[in-house]
Amino acid sequence: MKKLVLGAAIAATLAAAPARADITVCTWGTITGPDALVNGMTYGTADYLKYLNESKGGIAGEKIKVLMLDGRYKLDEELKIYRRCADQEQAVVINGWSTGAAKALRDQIQQDAIPFISESFASEVLDPAKYPYTFIAGPTYEQQMIIALRDLAAKGGKNVVLMYSDNEYGRGPVNVVRQSGVIEKLGLKLVDLVEYRYDAQDVTAQMLRIKAKNPDMIYVQGSTPQLIVALRDAAKAGLSAKLFVGNMYNISPAIPQQLGAAAEGFRAIQTYAFYGDDFPAMKEIEEYAKKNEVEKKDIYFVKGWLKGKVIAAAIENAIKKAGGKVPTDIKAFRKAVRDEMESLKNFDTGGVTPPFTYADHQGSVQARIAEIKGGKYTPVGNWINAH
Amino acid sequence: MTTRQILLALALAILFAAIGYNSGRFWAYLIYAVAIAGIGALSLNLLIGFCGQITFAQGALIGVGAYSAAIAGNAGWGGFSLLVAGVVTALVSLLIGLPALRLRGLYFAISTLAAQFILVYFFKILQPLTNGVSGLVVKPLTLFGRPVANDQEYVVICIAILFLSWLFLARITRTDMGRAFLVVRESELVARGMGIDVSRAKAQAFLLSGFFAGICGALFAFTSRLANPEAFEIALSVDQTAMIIVGGLGSLTGSIVGAAFVTLLPEAIERLGEFLPVAGLVSAFREMAFGLLIILFLLLEPRGLVAFVRRLAARRGGKANALAARAPAKTSNRAVTAQDGR
Repeated sequence: MKKLVLGAAIAATLAAAPARADITVCTWGTITGPDALVNGMTYGTADYLKYLNESKGGIAGEKIKVLMLDGRYKLDEELKIYRRCADQEQAVVINGWSTGAAKALRDQIQQDAIPFISESFASEVLDPAKYPYTFIAGPTYEQQMIIALRDLAAKGGKNVVLMYSDNEYGRGPVNVVRQSGVIEKLGLKLVDLVEYRYDAQDVTAQMLRIKAKNPDMIYVQGSTPQLIVALRDAAKAGLSAKLFVGNMYNISPAIPQQLGAAAEGFRAIQTYAFYGDDFPAMKEIEEYAKKNEVEKKDIYFVKGWLKGKVIAAAIENAIKKAGGKVPTDIKAFRKAVRDEMESLKNFDTGGVTPPFTYADHQGSVQARIAEIKGGKYTPVGNWINAH
Repeated sequence: MTTRQILLALALAILFAAIGYNSGRFWAYLIYAVAIAGIGALSLNLLIGFCGQITFAQGALIGVGAYSAAIAGNAGWGGFSLLVAGVVTALVSLLIGLPALRLRGLYFAISTLAAQFILVYFFKILQPLTNGVSGLVVKPLTLFGRPVANDQEYVVICIAILFLSWLFLARITRTDMGRAFLVVRESELVARGMGIDVSRAKAQAFLLSGFFAGICGALFAFTSRLANPEAFEIALSVDQTAMIIVGGLGSLTGSIVGAAFVTLLPEAIERLGEFLPVAGLVSAFREMAFGLLIILFLLLEPRGLVAFVRRLAARRGGKANALAARAPAKTSNRAVTAQDGR
């Protein structure tokens, strides 16, 4: 019994004494799990803040405590991590991952009044009036689809097929776009809707059905593994990869690497600059890479780097307004950072995207089309605004 | 089950509820996550460990409870939504159990696997009820006209329900019904020979197990504020099965110990990874941990942590029955006793 009481006392002491840091930023992603292919978004944010610590001594002379955690794309795990970040770590900003977690936590986030950047592009989590503490970092899935539709309309195309996976990520944006009437407004015609299993290993039958509709564009709302299956089976059915357009999560070297010539002409929505291209933020990444290992060298890492810049700018401005010192009251600090995040105007992204204003909580809503040419994604047009 | 055991369990429940209530949200979350998983594991252990009906549909049944509670809760049923979840899930569980009247062993297990996939499919397509793949956003649980809005309050509720569930099931295992479960588990032929209505016993086990799986799902829905199909996939059934194997088949206390172990293990590994300079490697190892654990337990201690602890205690105390406790584990890979229903 004595041991029991002692154990309880230790647990109570640990529970009552959360770790504190002046500036703690918490970011979680799928480090291990089904969508780990795009976890550069998490690494990028953590690495930018580490870069600030190394190159500038942090923000306003204070080192940033950066926590990068693995949500494993599991709702219960993400809910647990959120509580750890909000309560135990006293994070000033949290960068979450899945749409499910962002939805489950959306009321909680507003109650806790913690600036939260969601990795999801779902419009359901974006409402500055209703969810003033939730931000995203780019055009929603619907807006990405609209950008592709506008591009098709501008090029004189007519018939569209929307292909999507049988989960929220697939169905949600397609429903929103259909109900908005934008397809008809652009003078296009929706000739077919094709749903397929999220883990489908063969979609040849669907491709034969699509071929019979003779489309000018097949927009796929799916992840990279699904796109690989779709393009492979499209080739079997005699459909050219040039007809296919995917969203920003389909800019993956895995597509040309695994499919070779069958991927030539495939297009995807490019919302951020490519890793390795010539732009100012890339110089920072290169500088960081001299002393550190960059885990993911892709466009998602660049997105993560941009989020890091946004977070750092908001924190820096909040500290400036507080007289150059990190506010000791975490609640006031969080609110100040949220306000500063929302106040970012013509924010210089270091060339990752065109400059943006964050009042709408989503930042840049511009994108361009990138096409696989010679096994490499190449931009084939100018930035298109989704609005 | 002695009065002393009940009082000890009550003391532990009050202790953990007090710790959770007075601690931060993260600790509160961990405690109620264990309690919720524990309720699910109790329900599964009743079916597998006590009645011998192997099922893989536990994840989906928890989902039925979650959706039922979400729908009732959003409609303003307050605390009754927990009851609704229990009753609805009990009925669905009974339906899943119907093939058990004709099938046994692996054949029945396969039929439950089919039920798992069919139910998750229903969660996705019954759009008006479940909001499809988007998932149903759940309003906070209201009790006595007041919404339960923080993790600390949920700790008290979840632990109270866990304690009551444990107490109720422990009592059940001491009744004729509970003893009938054990005989059915050992041999249906013998059970019939003893005049036990096997079909009735199985139906009772499915109803009871389903009721508590529903309560587990309801608490999951109210605490996570979202019921979506992805949360109730086969992986949840595997987690729940791991809990009762690790804790101890046929042991109610073992179900809770196993739930704590399986729920807290990923966190422990994560913290270890942060402490060591190989976070990525340790994180990846976490994925393998359950599989390895189940294999280790099946090989070394098929009766689970509770039996292991009892054996250690018996050894330390120099009790004469230490060897007797060890013998079945060495001679058989099956947990053949109900571990006294404790």
